[in-house]
Amino acid sequence: MYGWIWRHLPGNAWVKALISIMLVVAVVYTLFQYVFPWAEPLLPFNDVTVDNQ
Amino acid sequence: MSVRVIVRTFSELCITVGAVIVLFVVYVLFWTGVRADRAMDDQIAALHDQWARQTPRAAPSTSAGAGAAAAATPYRDGRPFAVMYIPRLGFTWNKPVLEDTATGTLEKGLGHYKGTARLGQTGNFSVAGHRRTYGDPFKDFPELRRGDAVVLTDGTTWFTYRIDEGPYKTVPSDVEVIDPVPRKSGYTRPGRYLTLTTCDPEWGHSHRLIVWAHLDSTQPVEAGEPRALRR
Repeated sequence: MYGWIWRHLPGNAWVKALISIMLVVAVVYTLFQYVFPWAEPLLPFNDVTVDNQ
Repeated sequence: MSVRVIVRTFSELCITVGAVIVLFVVYVLFWTGVRADRAMDDQIAALHDQWARQTPRAAPSTSAGAGAAAAATPYRDGRPFAVMYIPRLGFTWNKPVLEDTATGTLEKGLGHYKGTARLGQTGNFSVAGHRRTYGDPFKDFPELRRGDAVVLTDGTTWFTYRIDEGPYKTVPSDVEVIDPVPRKSGYTRPGRYLTLTTCDPEWGHSHRLIVWAHLDSTQPVEAGEPRALRR
């Protein structure tokens, strides 16, 4: 999977490394900004009320 | 497709899932706290702004008049209306109190149960807060003891509540704990009460911890901080 991505990135090794880092940052950002805030309320830490309002 | 490719792809997927789980733990333990601290500071700053703007109007009237004026403004959902101080949880511990207990509200501060009494009024002013995650506002909830002060201000008045009972452990369906006269607290007559709720165990949701307090004293903000907040 990662080998496939690496082979399909353009440029020489340095350009590929740079693009890879940008991809990783983009994925982490998406996770922290959108995916985790959606997933976190599904865990029990949010249940602090007595009537589940 | 060779076995080698399948095994390698599977391993890479496992590593990826593991990395995402680690990132999620970092998010829950650390990042929600960063976000919540920032959000709570914003809420408190917004409140102070709002109070600073109101002061010229409130100043000529007596504190009773200001209280009546404040009582006329209904709390708006998801908006802050007070700041809570609990010296037992830390001398610098202060959190905004917002109206309603929706998930999004509790990420920005403590949540006031809709339909329970207003701050300082007869009835039961009930507030919920996170034990863990989102800044851990009620992390040290079990440390609360009888006689501890819970101080709130709505910009015109300081309200000092004193804890009478708790922490009391109950089940999530026990809605009686936020009744105007919560039976299990030992209160028998209507009065000006406060209830705090959070989850128990720390990371779980099987139970709730409850603390009850009664209004001990009030003083206008012009009189300075109440004694409970002085060092």
